Amino acid sequence: MRLVNRVLAALLSLALLAAAVLLIATVVADRTSHHEGIVHWRAAYHWAQHNAWAAASIRVACGILILAGLVLLVAELKPARVSRLPADPAEAGADAIDTAYTRRGLAAAIRSAVSAVDGVRSNSVKVKRRTVKITATASAQDRTAARSLRDPITDAVRQRLSALKLRRTLSVSVRVAPRSH
Amino acid sequence: MHADRTNRTLLIVLALLMLGAGLAAGAASLGGFGTATKNSTLMDNPTGHYFGANGAWLWPVIALAALIIGLLALRWLIALLFSTDRSGDLMIKSSTGAGRTTLVNRALTDAVVGEIEGYRGVDSAQARLIGDPDDPELVVRAVLEETADLTALRQRIETGALAHARQALGNMSLPAQLDLTITSRRSARVV
Repeated sequence: MRLVNRVLAALLSLALLAAAVLLIATVVADRTSHHEGIVHWRAAYHWAQHNAWAAASIRVACGILILAGLVLLVAELKPARVSRLPADPAEAGADAIDTAYTRRGLAAAIRSAVSAVDGVRSNSVKVKRRTVKITATASAQDRTAARSLRDPITDAVRQRLSALKLRRTLSVSVRVAPRSH
Repeated sequence: MHADRTNRTLLIVLALLMLGAGLAAGAASLGGFGTATKNSTLMDNPTGHYFGANGAWLWPVIALAALIIGLLALRWLIALLFSTDRSGDLMIKSSTGAGRTTLVNRALTDAVVGEIEGYRGVDSAQARLIGDPDDPELVVRAVLEETADLTALRQRIETGALAHARQALGNMSLPAQLDLTITSRRSARVV
């Protein structure tokens, strides 16, 4: 989100700058030579003088504004996805060091632990603030055989998480599907 | 820092302005402010009349406000494009108060990276000093091989490379952030 915000902020600051320059140039042009300058504002003024609030174009513009404002507001207020999971400070080798595992690193470690379980063909891992979700595909096409992999996968993940010694214990959720034909 | 906090605040303000303008104009359009407003033209309202009557002095004032907003937008853009959170070179205080030692920022971070990358089980490392040069923070990112003893390696980095950096700066309570990531790639280095 930070990168998206930087791009949006750059666009917004450029738009503000351009709007300010155009407005100043238009006011100066109007005051000095009574010409429109770069912006043909008389056409817009004429349009505003002849269109009512009830016009369909106004309603469409309002709908777009409300939708865009809502999307932007929700995106900005939504809590950021966790990027680092703190390690247990009790295991620290020195004071005042904020140690954490990156979310991607943790996902990679769990993915490889799951891959090492016999009978797992592929898997994907999602690490959230409090949970780890694993979706695995078994090598077998049989549903019962696939289901039997659930416990070994859960054990492998818990073992890997325990080796990492995180500050917060993450809950583990595993889904195993049989291989499709 | 690329003005991250300012970016978020101003984008929230923009979202609220868009939402407010959309809702107010939408209400006017649907008759929320009465049938007379709904059927009147966009310029036929007290604000429009005020602008019509006072345009002679109002537009130059608006142009002045636009100049201030434009300058602030330019400052924001410059902060976005060119600001950094990295510390400059660091002054080391001597215990006697005599003399002056400057530690080049890069010298410290390169030494930290070199030491961490020398540990068995570390694939790669990055380090930077951020914040005020008088009160810096060391931020280190290390990529560990998944086959390594991760807790032992973490403690080795904390008690080794990070402690040495603190000693070099003469500040044993230097704040440090250590980000560990794990890779399944095996290092080709022989240590």
